[in-house]
Amino acid sequence: MLRDHFVSRRRGATPAEDLATEPRELAGVRYTAAAWDPPALERLVSELAETGAAALATVDDRALLDAWGQTVETFLDPGSEERRRLDPALASLCRLSEAGLGAALEAVLGGVRRGPAERLLAEAPPRAVGAAATPSPVVVFLASNLPALAVQPLLPALLRRRPVLLKSPSAEPLFAPAFAAALAGHEPRLGEAVAAITWRGGDAELEAPLLAGAGKILAYGNETGLADLERRCPGRLVAYGPRTSLAALGAEVPPRAVAPGLARDVALFDQRGCLSIQAVYTTGDAHELADALAEELRSLARRWPAGPATLGELAAVQQVRQEADLRGLYRPPLALDAGTVVVEPEPTFLASPGRRTVRIHPLPRLHNLPAILAPWIGRLQGAALAGTEALALRSALGSLGLSRLTAPGELQSPDISWHNGGRHPLEALG
Amino acid sequence: MTGLPPVAAITRFLDDPTSGDFDELALVAFEFQYRRIDAYRRLCDARGATPATVRRWQDVPAVPASAFKTLPLAAAPSRRAFRSSGTTAGPRRRSVHYQPFPQLYESAVDASFPVFCLPATLTAGGTPPMLSLIPTSRQVPDSSLSFMIDRVLARWGGADSATAFGLSGVDTAAATAWAKERAAGERPVLVLATALALLQWLERLRADRLHLALPAGSVVFETGGFKGREREVTRAELLALLEEGLAVPPERVVREYGMTELSSQFYTRSLTGGDPDLFFGPPWTRVRLLEPRSLEPCAPGEPGLVAVFDLANLGSAVHVLTEDLGVAEPVPSTPTASSAGFRLLGRAAGAELRGCSLTAEELARS
Repeated sequence: MLRDHFVSRRRGATPAEDLATEPRELAGVRYTAAAWDPPALERLVSELAETGAAALATVDDRALLDAWGQTVETFLDPGSEERRRLDPALASLCRLSEAGLGAALEAVLGGVRRGPAERLLAEAPPRAVGAAATPSPVVVFLASNLPALAVQPLLPALLRRRPVLLKSPSAEPLFAPAFAAALAGHEPRLGEAVAAITWRGGDAELEAPLLAGAGKILAYGNETGLADLERRCPGRLVAYGPRTSLAALGAEVPPRAVAPGLARDVALFDQRGCLSIQAVYTTGDAHELADALAEELRSLARRWPAGPATLGELAAVQQVRQEADLRGLYRPPLALDAGTVVVEPEPTFLASPGRRTVRIHPLPRLHNLPAILAPWIGRLQGAALAGTEALALRSALGSLGLSRLTAPGELQSPDISWHNGGRHPLEALG
Repeated sequence: MTGLPPVAAITRFLDDPTSGDFDELALVAFEFQYRRIDAYRRLCDARGATPATVRRWQDVPAVPASAFKTLPLAAAPSRRAFRSSGTTAGPRRRSVHYQPFPQLYESAVDASFPVFCLPATLTAGGTPPMLSLIPTSRQVPDSSLSFMIDRVLARWGGADSATAFGLSGVDTAAATAWAKERAAGERPVLVLATALALLQWLERLRADRLHLALPAGSVVFETGGFKGREREVTRAELLALLEEGLAVPPERVVREYGMTELSSQFYTRSLTGGDPDLFFGPPWTRVRLLEPRSLEPCAPGEPGLVAVFDLANLGSAVHVLTEDLGVAEPVPSTPTASSAGFRLLGRAAGAELRGCSLTAEELARS
């Protein structure tokens, strides 16, 4: 039976077998859910700070990287027992097709394999020998739009030898505990230092003792939720708020050559990632690019079919389509589930409604793009760039806060050293 | 046909639904807009929908509500423009509804508001005292809701009606003072508010431990949701607060559904014992729920996209595909309302910025 929690069985005061649990069903997925109250969360954080930190301090780098690397490989292998148990549930909860989920896991987990983990470790400050301090646990509030997101904050925290409490989103409570359990299977001392649980988010009373006992708090969420957390733990929150991404192409870039990469950066995670391309700016032939991109999206829809759509998503996409038709904009024919491509002559950047919906904006020159994007400052994450004129924008786009500038097709596959939101993953932990 | 020009024919139909035939007027309105709005005509032509081919109002091509954000949809020179509030964070487009015939908007209000919101108990002693927590048109000149409420106050508000909305929003002190005075009397009153404004006031009353009892028979008109609020409050909580703070029971609350892109409003029939979540339109409107993939009508009981045919929108787009989601519930037609009731289920999901933190709700309310 899948579980929404992982807490070490060795821990004294809150042994896993003492947890009050109940069977639960979410989106057709059955799992065992643990119930939490303020004292239980307080105990858990306190134990992580003491026994977890102590256990973690005894794990050398090699043992840590070995266990981490093996766990990641396990979850990268679609044939592994863990994946076979988890995939159908995860696909359902993340609203991805199974093929889409596979691609998503490959993209996320591929960036935290042993190699990238080792490179990140090399950037870590040397550990203080014989330090007596017990570091306060890092608490991470995760979001559910990306599967396996838990690995991104987890690895840096472990490399810094910080115990971690992962709070899964209610909508997807299964990956983090499964990964933590597998990690503990490879290295039980890591299991002592990691807990993965969930509860109904935003409950100030429930979360008060947890937040009081935590060190840094990393949270992925919207501005309202993040502001609420910031009020409750001022100065300790590292907020990963909503961001979006785009592509910029110079005139010399052949549409057929760039379209496969663009399509991948649009379609991966069903366009729900902060690095998912939502708009393309080009000085080339926008209609030709639209045709090429539509063709690639059509092809991707066969390999990575979109997950089930909500009524609201379909409604929003229909608004884009119908509006484009009314305005006489060019829109290559594409099945609703394959995506939507519109050539939009207005340069204003607009958030896409998702479901692989992209606006292509023709521009006479790209040099004005930073000014076009300026209203979105603080909300832009990355850009796929191709062509001389686009590549020349790197510095200007960096100034707008874009933290990932890369070639089309690679935007959505950063490795763990990526400075999400402009922050070094290790330095984010203080 | 009546032989009247379209504006006059529709105005008359709004005033007296027996003066014409909805189906005929719908086709007249379609032709009017087809001839006068270039972008719309191009769309219709592309779809083979022309006055020569369209025989039923259902086949009139619908204009997506989002088009009001980018196109000046006006079938005649505009005399008034309404803009949506654009309350969502981040750069966003606002809808602009150009109104060449604002008198149609006024006629729509005149002919529907009293039917749904002014029961005899409220008007028995003449025009009732009204308290509005909605800014006036002087305060927000481009708000269609303000335009409507101004009209309501001017037309049916008693002499001691008031607006409690100041420079910094809802003036809860003024609202409370007004309500205290009325609570001492027996004359029922009408409170006009957005859900958010009402909540602000009721929370203030609770914080001040004030329990006012508006006279029996008083009515609350409530519109809109809780956009812009950090933490959403359930409808049940709002109604409980209303009963606690003003002694107005849930069955005396009329909900209104309107939007910048339309000229008519939809109401619940709460005051006559109707379902408090079921909306009805006046006789010059029709509502259909469309299947989101095909945009064909949904099977009965299936949720879909709300499409509204509103004859009062003669100046812009009579057939509008809204961004709202709903489910239809057929009920026997009455002389004062179009036949189908519908429930609102939410709004299209697309306008929000997406990112790694898409599930903001996970933090705030999951």
